[in-house]
Amino acid sequence: MSYDDVEIEDMEWNEELQAFTYPCPCGDLFQITKEDLRIGEEIARCPSCSLYITVIYNMEDFQDTSNRKTEPAKPQPVAVA
Amino acid sequence: METAMERTQQALQEDDEEQQEIWSWGAGTDGQLATGRLQDEHSPQLLCSLSALGPINFLSCGGAHVIALSPGGRVLTWGRGTSGQLGHGEMVNSLQPKAVKALESFTITHVSAGWNHSGFVSGSGAIYTCGDGSFGQLGHGEFKSLCSPVEVSFFSSKHVEQVACGMRHSLVLLRGNKDNQVYGFGFGKRGQLGISTEKVKSTSLPQITMGLTNVRIVNISANGDHSAALSADGSLYTWGRGFGCASDACIPHHVDVALSLKEVALGWNHALLLTSEGEVFMLGGHRHGALSGPQKTSLTADASGKLKEGIVRISADHSETKVVQIAAGAEHSALVTDNGSSSVMTWGWGEHGQLGLGDTNDQAIPQVVSLAHISAEKHPISRVYCGSGFSFVLRTYDSDSQMREGT
Repeated sequence: MSYDDVEIEDMEWNEELQAFTYPCPCGDLFQITKEDLRIGEEIARCPSCSLYITVIYNMEDFQDTSNRKTEPAKPQPVAVA
Repeated sequence: METAMERTQQALQEDDEEQQEIWSWGAGTDGQLATGRLQDEHSPQLLCSLSALGPINFLSCGGAHVIALSPGGRVLTWGRGTSGQLGHGEMVNSLQPKAVKALESFTITHVSAGWNHSGFVSGSGAIYTCGDGSFGQLGHGEFKSLCSPVEVSFFSSKHVEQVACGMRHSLVLLRGNKDNQVYGFGFGKRGQLGISTEKVKSTSLPQITMGLTNVRIVNISANGDHSAALSADGSLYTWGRGFGCASDACIPHHVDVALSLKEVALGWNHALLLTSEGEVFMLGGHRHGALSGPQKTSLTADASGKLKEGIVRISADHSETKVVQIAAGAEHSALVTDNGSSSVMTWGWGEHGQLGLGDTNDQAIPQVVSLAHISAEKHPISRVYCGSGFSFVLRTYDSDSQMREGT
């Protein structure tokens, strides 16, 4: 059972991990890569425990197209207002 | 386990005059347990190194770091430091407790550890913050992280009494005022700042928390996306993410429990309430003690009947034992009873050993944590503190019992 539902805009881009992250109650981070998102994966897992969250996002935002750069998240925190 | 116990006994015998013990257990891969090791511990570990640094009278445990306060107002920190939350002037973890040098010229009276940020309040009413600032949770009007504590200038002409740091937000309580006494800053999407009837994504400058006028607030708490305050007459106010099925609240609302409350402890999905009668109630926490899946859960039923919608009474044990203190991690809970040995009990999520029961099982009802005793003659007083996935106990022995021993 998913621990929580989290919107992609509330996740943070982690340059080191090359993944979007969100705090896990164990102290580590739930993680999901851009490639995961591109292929429609919606589960972000924590490498340290059995918990996972469901990521809410628009898959189209992560699709590669030949004529435009669609990666919405440059290396910066996405959730900053 | 056996070697740890042996070490414990040895340490206790060698240093009989030692009046304080510090124990830790649970998730430890960022050094937050102060054991000097980067690993989880499923059973309580006695920390000789920390005891050697002198007495500690308060701890605040965050996502994976700990802030310790000495009786003289000195501050030590350890654990995860990659966002600057330890205040040591660098963004690295520390496996051992280290003094926060930048605060050495101040007498610190209150501290709070959030997910990845820290707050410190001085006796003169100034507040200092450091750590992750990406959501404005440091209150300096920007979204930068800081690796040394910096005074929040917004409060420079005010007298700050308490700070409470949540996952991505902070609350501040001012001394004396009856109005405009609570402020919020940082991430506010779930309503946890209480600064507007409309949702505010974030603010990097403190703003007044609404809805607490004509109420004298004596205590504030923050964890996850929750915020709470207790008034002098024992009333509870909560705002932010809703508990259980309740919707989010953008401004504080009074939780009518018809009981006078002494303490509140917030998790990420539950709140523990301690009444002045020594009873414990839980708000939310529908999956408390049932997070790892049914195969790991010893009991899934509620501890006892429901008091009001969504509020469950927690029984410490079968008898009428009173509870004197409570603490909440992200998904686990702890309490201290007033029986002669000042027992520590834990329940909730246990996957990282954060319950200290020697395994990784979840527990739906409080279980006694086994801590070695100096002797039956001395009466310990325990205080328990929980971080996201770990726990600490400070145990002091009253000098009365020593005197009794001598007579």
